[in-house]
Amino acid sequence: MNWIDKQRNIVDFALSSLLRRWRKNLALLCVYTFVVFIVASVVFFAEALKREATLVLEGAPDVVVQRLIAGRHDLISRGHMEKLERITGVSDVKGRLWAYYFEPSVGANYTLVVTEEAAGRPGTVAIGAGVSRTLQAGQGDLIAFRGHDGAYVSLEVARVFPSSSELVSADLVEISEEDFRALFGLPEGIYTDLTLRVRNPKETVVVADKIRRLLPDTRPILREEVLRTYEALFDWRGGIVLAIFAGAALAFIIFAWDKATSLTLEERREIGILKAVGWETSEVIVMKSWEGIVISLTAFLLGLVLAYVHVFFTSGTLFEPVLKGWAVLYPRFQPVPFIDPYQVATLFFLTVVPYTVATVIPSWGAATIDPDTIMRQ
Amino acid sequence: MSLIVLNGITKIFNRGRPDEFTALSDVSLEIEPRGLAVFKGPSGSGKTTLLSIVGCMAKPSAGRVLVKGREVTSLPDRFLTDIRRHTFGFIFQQLHLVRGISALENVILPAYPSGERLASLRERGVRLLDLLGLSHRADTNVEWLSGGEAQRVAIARALINEPAIVIADEPTAHLDTKLSLDFMAAMERLKAEGKTILFASHDPLVYESAMVDRVLEMRDGRIVAERRAS
Amino acid sequence: MRLRKSSAFIVFTLINVTGLALLFAHGALERQRQAPVLSEKKIMVERFGLTDLCLFTDARYTRNPAVADRSTPFQDNPLSLDYFPSGSILPPPPHLRAHELDR
Repeated sequence: MNWIDKQRNIVDFALSSLLRRWRKNLALLCVYTFVVFIVASVVFFAEALKREATLVLEGAPDVVVQRLIAGRHDLISRGHMEKLERITGVSDVKGRLWAYYFEPSVGANYTLVVTEEAAGRPGTVAIGAGVSRTLQAGQGDLIAFRGHDGAYVSLEVARVFPSSSELVSADLVEISEEDFRALFGLPEGIYTDLTLRVRNPKETVVVADKIRRLLPDTRPILREEVLRTYEALFDWRGGIVLAIFAGAALAFIIFAWDKATSLTLEERREIGILKAVGWETSEVIVMKSWEGIVISLTAFLLGLVLAYVHVFFTSGTLFEPVLKGWAVLYPRFQPVPFIDPYQVATLFFLTVVPYTVATVIPSWGAATIDPDTIMRQ
Repeated sequence: MSLIVLNGITKIFNRGRPDEFTALSDVSLEIEPRGLAVFKGPSGSGKTTLLSIVGCMAKPSAGRVLVKGREVTSLPDRFLTDIRRHTFGFIFQQLHLVRGISALENVILPAYPSGERLASLRERGVRLLDLLGLSHRADTNVEWLSGGEAQRVAIARALINEPAIVIADEPTAHLDTKLSLDFMAAMERLKAEGKTILFASHDPLVYESAMVDRVLEMRDGRIVAERRAS
Repeated sequence: MRLRKSSAFIVFTLINVTGLALLFAHGALERQRQAPVLSEKKIMVERFGLTDLCLFTDARYTRNPAVADRSTPFQDNPLSLDYFPSGSILPPPPHLRAHELDR
């Protein structure tokens, strides 16, 4: 009880100290909160996306086999499929038909994908919400696609994929095989790439090896590799994230430097008075630490709250222009709150400890001098 | 037994540098409990330095200081602070109140680290201010107080930890005659309570006052004369 | 009775901590709520045989980074700048960086 009361008394004085220079401290708090807000927003956003990718892309094919000719991605034929079917442990070899389609009128890129279900509805397409937005086309509207021969083919929109699935489907156009082959002039037996299933998941690397040896002009891509691609998303080594973090670190360093290299005359005087009226050096240090903790803890909590609201309630609106870049079509999605507690803890330590230390260090010198010196000023 | 004993105290500032300056030179004296002693002398005579050494605010360059029979000269900061907190109450010439907080907060500030509950601290502080006729200004920020009021806040602050010895450096320097007399009256009350009081002053109103028991004259860092009241 | 500064700070901090706790609780609830939506997306991925999230539609290798090959970026105009910021947010996949066996 005594210790708590002592701390509360000291905190009272620390708060008095801060309030005395309230304008400066308020500015400091605002900047610091903003820095925490930006960093936490990036961390939350990245983590949420990564986790979602990991969960959702579990549905990706076990192995995708791509053909590369003269350094370019080329189409693959049934012959290759038959060879793959003979590999032990491989099942369900399917040809995948998909293509990129550039719509010049709006400058957007779409991805056309063929599915078995679409075969039952020739002449129609199912489109993603992003496609619908850019073309301003809804259910029942017609979209004209330009074929390989320059002729336009009109297809009716059968349905629009729900908005909740935009993260995977925003730019998709689901089309029947018939329409796809007609549009791109692809004969039967030719596919964009192949997918296959491996019966024993532990065998995938072995199977990939076999594929490479069996079909030297192909490249197998495993689902694990697909998932790892997204672990690198928002990697701090990536230019933009590095720039943001560096900016935040710089802002913090500038402020901490300002604190660390100068005790105002007033602050010096106060420390002298405290020593003179009987405060121990350690108690003065504790008081200064509380000054640092009050600001950094508040900045941390406020910054975190704001970041959470920003990312998970407003879908990270501040990041949208950054993420959109040159793309015309950008998915609208609400990240699902996946939060890594280690990241939060790290952020906490990075926010509170260095700042508190920066506040205490200059005071250390002043707190250890004889109080007699103050009498001479 | 003497309350405070100073033995061969010398204080040199900026030793080894071109602006080296000897403030005190081989000063020895004993201060008995109770009573009011005044150190008189021109500025530069070493009064302030002597008081700060007596009050354990500074360490001497040479010599020994004993408080209540216990040597304090070589004590580490922690213990020295403890002694300073509980034995001495210091009233500075420039008062050195903390700006931006109220009179009451200034008064109880020295007692914060003791862990005493704030409510009880405030109560004691208000009582002290009341004794000095200032309870109505308890919550006023010290910048708004007049010179005399600030002076009284400084006195109250010196008394919050119930010290045995009260030390005041040029207490009447910024006070007019009336306030100076009020101050001396307050000191008389403290003396009556059994406290030991030490002043440094070159104000005749102080050192020629009837309540002074002992006047020590200082010049050039030494005690050159002493007069005791009969 | 006046409010002590330290009490005010404690209260303020507790409010913030509570707010944060509530948000995290909201997060947990939201995760549960979104679980079926995530399942749906996964089913969609299976159905279409997708390998990537639709995040960056500005180039082939930003739209499908998982199946991008090294030469695709070269097929852009030699004067064209790296797609920004997608290029700096999504680095080349590890399997491209680590090895491209004897190719």
